[in-house]
Amino acid sequence: MRRIFQLVILLFILALVVIQFFQPEKNKGEIDSNHILKSEQLPEEISSLLANACLDCHSNQTNYLWYHQVAPVSWFINGHITEGKSELNLSDWGTWDPIDKITALDDMATEVKKGKMPLQSYVLIHRKAKLSEEQKASLTAWAESLSEKVLTGE
Amino acid sequence: MKNLNLITSLFLVLLLSSSISFADEKPDEKKITLKMPEDVRAVVDNSCFGCHNTDSRNEDAREHLDFKTMHQLSDIKKLGAFKEIREVIEENEMPPKKFLERRPEKELTEEQKKILIDWVKKESVALMNQNQ
Repeated sequence: MRRIFQLVILLFILALVVIQFFQPEKNKGEIDSNHILKSEQLPEEISSLLANACLDCHSNQTNYLWYHQVAPVSWFINGHITEGKSELNLSDWGTWDPIDKITALDDMATEVKKGKMPLQSYVLIHRKAKLSEEQKASLTAWAESLSEKVLTGE
Repeated sequence: MKNLNLITSLFLVLLLSSSISFADEKPDEKKITLKMPEDVRAVVDNSCFGCHNTDSRNEDAREHLDFKTMHQLSDIKKLGAFKEIREVIEENEMPPKKFLERRPEKELTEEQKKILIDWVKKESVALMNQNQ
């Protein structure tokens, strides 16, 4: 019985080692001029809110923590990033037409207002991503005013 | 036996009245408040309005999009709504598959999809031009 138990543990450890060789590609692209932080003149507060609460999953640049690189956590994280980028990728901001920008900003404001974004599971691990009521208000106010500007072509 | 007949007839009456009230709730053209071409209106009326209106019992649907109040939205919210309409149609998410299992006649044909998509594109551009 003990033998079997030892064998199971051993196999488990072995599996854990083997899966480390199957890592998803990292989300570590270059920041180019289409990135929202480059192509828009953002207030300091907004840039840091975006960086702390949004850009890990909504851009081509993720700031990984060490254990994000360990499978199977890395697979889970990669799934989140892929999904986040398919919904909204702020690295491509500069390539969008005005309608896309307006609708993205409107979505951002709504999600933040409703507390749907940033995701709770993300906030649990990334304390900086936790938005206070004031931060939520400034992020939504910024999104709303920028969308007005884009709409009127200012 | 008499009792059973009574129950059956009661049941029938109930069934009838419920179908009548359902017929009453059936969307009619006047209830869609946004101005739109007739061909678009016909598609919206047939495949969307049933759930996407203020009095719908489908809370999720009416929160996302409400054809009874859509004319009151700001231009920005309208642009958002148009984009979402386009996305859910292009990705075949609407009308929902489960709904279509019961009401296959509500499924959008390729032609109807094109009518809706062309409409939202045109409306979005018009909204942008109005504001520039």
